[in-house]
Amino acid sequence: MSHESTKPSIMSNAQRLSNCTEDELTAELLRDGMSSALFVELVSRYQKLVYYHCRNLLVSHDDADDAVQNAFIKIWQNAQQFKGESQLKTWVYRIATNESINLIRKRKPSIDFDEAQPEMAEMISEDLYLSGDDIALKLQKALCFLPFKQKLVFTLRYFEGLSYADIALLTSTSEGALKASYHHALKKLEIYLNVLR
Amino acid sequence: MDLENEKIGPAFSAPDSYFKDTESRLLQRLGIQKELLENQAAETVETPITIAAAVTPLDTLGVQKRARKQDPITAKSQGINKEVEAVGSVVIPPLTFTTNENPEWVNFGAISEEVSGNGDQIKVVSYGDLLSNTESNDAEAPSLNQENITPEIAEETVLEAVNLDQPITTVETPATELTQIETPASELELPAEIPAEVSTIEPSVIVHEVPESVGLDELESYISANVQPTSTSLEPLVSNEVEETTFVNPAKQVESPSPRIAEEKPISLEAPATAFAPIAGRQHESATPGWLGVAAALAAIVAAYFIWTAIQPPKVDTEQVALQQEEATVPEAPLDEQTPTDTIPDGLQLVEPLIMEEIPKYKEPNVYTITDAEEMPARTKRALQDLEDNGLATFDMEDELFEELDFESL
Repeated sequence: MSHESTKPSIMSNAQRLSNCTEDELTAELLRDGMSSALFVELVSRYQKLVYYHCRNLLVSHDDADDAVQNAFIKIWQNAQQFKGESQLKTWVYRIATNESINLIRKRKPSIDFDEAQPEMAEMISEDLYLSGDDIALKLQKALCFLPFKQKLVFTLRYFEGLSYADIALLTSTSEGALKASYHHALKKLEIYLNVLR
Repeated sequence: MDLENEKIGPAFSAPDSYFKDTESRLLQRLGIQKELLENQAAETVETPITIAAAVTPLDTLGVQKRARKQDPITAKSQGINKEVEAVGSVVIPPLTFTTNENPEWVNFGAISEEVSGNGDQIKVVSYGDLLSNTESNDAEAPSLNQENITPEIAEETVLEAVNLDQPITTVETPATELTQIETPASELELPAEIPAEVSTIEPSVIVHEVPESVGLDELESYISANVQPTSTSLEPLVSNEVEETTFVNPAKQVESPSPRIAEEKPISLEAPATAFAPIAGRQHESATPGWLGVAAALAAIVAAYFIWTAIQPPKVDTEQVALQQEEATVPEAPLDEQTPTDTIPDGLQLVEPLIMEEIPKYKEPNVYTITDAEEMPARTKRALQDLEDNGLATFDMEDELFEELDFESL
């Protein structure tokens, strides 16, 4: 009888984390630290988000893959430094963004993030795991003609759906500047798409 | 295109298998085993539940469930659980087993006591005995073992077979097999006559000497004619083909009754002597008339004159030279003025009115439309980027966004 009562609780340990909300995961991370089970849950929950975020920034699949691996390793190693001043997802995004920037700097040390990297547009159509949507590919090519700052803001806002407050927290930027940057990026992309059409 | 109202999806779509692979790689890199993690999680959850069951408060309102019982011999008191005591002693029933097998198939009662009492007659050979035998007499050991063991094994097999009510033929089979063991190993060797039998086999392969230049068709027809000499239907075919290839006619060989005779005659590749016979109706050349030679000589002289005049340098006219020198000193205006090079490559067509209609907000004069930008080279893209950077707007952000992000600060 007691065995029957313990059985569902045995099975629910992994499910409990998967059923937890983000706030509950944040609370557990702050209370108990990063356990292996929690890390596995974070990987399964945020892996796709991190990959597509890095892929939008880096375009190359291989670079995005490296950035994802490095980002989660840093999450595992620096979990105790998470102070809970932001959401867990924002923290993960920030580490992934940081890893993407580090990877770009490693590939091209003299890069200026105020300038665009149009050479990235050339490798889009030849890379792996494309959705096949033409207009999406054109938009991705047009993103390569944006300065990296605007590209990041547009990606976080348009594709990831983050709020201006989260993006401001992630980038340590004021919301007003982010809105202006997003607006400029949007208009510029519309011009590019009209040109590329 | 209005991006704010028209949502465009992401351009990348990775399969789930990639994410599973990435997850496994990552966990392997960090030394985390997912399966063990699930098991450990189950154990850690199970422990507090058992503790919670033990910590449940005692029900002191009802009948006292726990009491102590004193042992009359040792005078020590031990805690007892009345609920367990109330259940009483547990009686374990005797073990029984059932089987579907018919007990008549295994008739243990048929084994007589005489057979079961023959254990003294069996000589048990241990490893130590074997070792001592090998040390004392290596040559006698195998023969002794065979003599001692093999008859007893034979008897046992016979008795067991009788007990199992098996036919006699099956009983005799192992006995004969065991008697074969007693035969010396030298007799089991293969007789040396086998190679002699193999050597007596006559070779049936007939080697046909055929030149390499003979075609496959000729070869097939040749072989078929030799293999089946009696078939008369192949004869005209063989003769025709051989005549076409100017070989020695093997039709005679085919016509011959035995194929061996045809093999002895090699096929000659030389052409017959009549292949280069002179053509009978050859015509002789007629003699040319003499006036043709005279006309040719005149034509040669005229041609040489024209060539000579063409080779001679032109006569220098001093006046014309002076005029030409004067003209050369006057600077000439270039015939074609060089057009200023545009920074935009030829692939870009600048259509200003079109862009003005589409984007009224941006009315700078240096905004252009690119109509064929599908296959835009990198140079064009850079030019477009310069155009955009210089012509449309500047997008400077006031914040230092891309300083080294410190993720620990969050």
